[in-house]
Amino acid sequence: MTNSSKNMTNKGTGLKIAISAVLCLFVLLIAIRSGSVNIPIKDIFAIIGARITGRGTPAGVEPMMESIFWTIRMPRAITAFLVGGALSLSGACMQALLQNPLASSYTLGVSSGASLGAAFVLILEISIPALAGFMLPVAGFVFGLLTVTGALLLASAIDRSISNTTVVLIGMVLSLFVNGIMNLLSSLYSDHSKQLYLWMMGSFSARGWKHCAILFPVCIICFIVLMLMSRKMDIMSFGDLQAQAMGVDAKKTKTLAIIICSLLTGISVAFSGVIGFVDLAAPHIVRKIFGPSHKIVLPMSFIYGGAFMALCDLISRTLLSPREIPVGAVTALIGAPFFAYVFFASRRKRK
Amino acid sequence: MKIEVKNMSACYGTTEVLHNINLEINQGEKVFIGGSNGSGKTTLLRVMSGIMPHKGDVLVDGREVSKMKRKDAAKLISLMPQTSEVYFPYTVYETVLLGTYASSGSTFGGAGASDIEYAVKCMEDCGILDLKDRHLDELSGGQLQRVLLARTFAQRSPYLFLDEPGNNLDIKYRAELCDKLNDWAKDTTRDILNSLICVFHDLEQARRCCTRAVMLKAGEIVFDGDISEGLKPEMLLKIYDFDVASYVKN
Repeated sequence: MTNSSKNMTNKGTGLKIAISAVLCLFVLLIAIRSGSVNIPIKDIFAIIGARITGRGTPAGVEPMMESIFWTIRMPRAITAFLVGGALSLSGACMQALLQNPLASSYTLGVSSGASLGAAFVLILEISIPALAGFMLPVAGFVFGLLTVTGALLLASAIDRSISNTTVVLIGMVLSLFVNGIMNLLSSLYSDHSKQLYLWMMGSFSARGWKHCAILFPVCIICFIVLMLMSRKMDIMSFGDLQAQAMGVDAKKTKTLAIIICSLLTGISVAFSGVIGFVDLAAPHIVRKIFGPSHKIVLPMSFIYGGAFMALCDLISRTLLSPREIPVGAVTALIGAPFFAYVFFASRRKRK
Repeated sequence: MKIEVKNMSACYGTTEVLHNINLEINQGEKVFIGGSNGSGKTTLLRVMSGIMPHKGDVLVDGREVSKMKRKDAAKLISLMPQTSEVYFPYTVYETVLLGTYASSGSTFGGAGASDIEYAVKCMEDCGILDLKDRHLDELSGGQLQRVLLARTFAQRSPYLFLDEPGNNLDIKYRAELCDKLNDWAKDTTRDILNSLICVFHDLEQARRCCTRAVMLKAGEIVFDGDISEGLKPEMLLKIYDFDVASYVKN
């Protein structure tokens, strides 16, 4: 019996994880390599090697290549990866907590709140010198969190157990309301609306190491906290009542996880604008491949979401080069048909 | 070791569904909760397991259940729901293993080796070991019911609240369920008697599994006593407003 119980974890999961990790590194490498100037892969390794060992520009690598690689491509690709990872990680959690495969922290109004914050900054031309280039992200982040907090407070005032329907409905209502304010503002101050529109469509252009330096620790900390909650989240995905009966404090778990997810989403939206779809598609595909257990779904959602976003960013800057397409449009244009295919293909098979 | 319910009322919104309930259940008792649809049986189980707000007292081993930490309460009480929506298709094995969450020592970590062994035993007891790698959305209603039962067993609590555990089971499994519950009540691994508090619609199952009957009507207890008394035709007529005896004969 001990033998059979040891072998109960799904066979081949390790192999699938390994393949996924390699695939994701490969995508990241391609994203860094390609662009208006292609950097040879061997140069990439040479530069990274030289950086790690603390030497200068390695022999045989043009200084221009190194500069493109180090100050433009690499931070941009990593920012895209982290944002994609953060969004799909929070999507995966929200779907389990709300028992709704279409939920994400966007549902709770993070993105509309963030957009309103950005609109205020652009229209009122607010600038705080200490924040320098971070004015938009900070405003977006603060307003995003405020909206979620508002949604949660409102939900708990109406329904003390914070049931899922209440959360989703309040989130949607508040989103629409906040969107309304923003549309009103942008029509009243139409000379700013193009700038606002571009921000809302999402972009990773000119994202540098300073963005990574904020994103990376936030992602790591949130990821660790969510991983520690993974078993609770498994239980929560059977619904609040069953979770309570099995020993999980549903309200506490839900509140904590929603705050963490809003933080992840807020910071992503703040740095890249509103990019939809990855938070739906990546976790869904991951569950199809690995099953629903969060111990695996959370890290894999991060990796798949990150790789998907890096790929979409690559397409957004190369497809119509030198023009850039908004990355939000790319994620939806690629993501939607692919998601539909995965979703309906598996349905057909089941029937 | 006992559960004491004193002057307890509970409501959904503004509708009160349980009125002034007084009840005492000792460790090791096998109690049938009977009553017609909407009489408050499920609510009573939920309140007693501490997952629904209530007025009055519900004391489990002397402590108010709604004030206990969920994990501590779940160590004492498990509740098998009538049914479960399958939102995410976990495997049977994963699902049953989740039942060990409250009793396993670690707060954050996964299940330990002893949890796994126990979950396997529960699956064996419920006859679903051969289904262990199946996904929940590939199961029939009766199979899912047995998975939920195994998960409830895996919680290892001395008080088991079962809300219509016989749902969706065919007649053979219903008969087997009674034997299993009776076996489970005598917990040989821990040398204690577990308490069973069960809602059944099949009165034959109630007769086979339980020794005491608590009958509800419109949110109040109208009978509490020996099951042979509780299942007498006059009593059933009163509880269900229906001539059960002649229905069964035909």
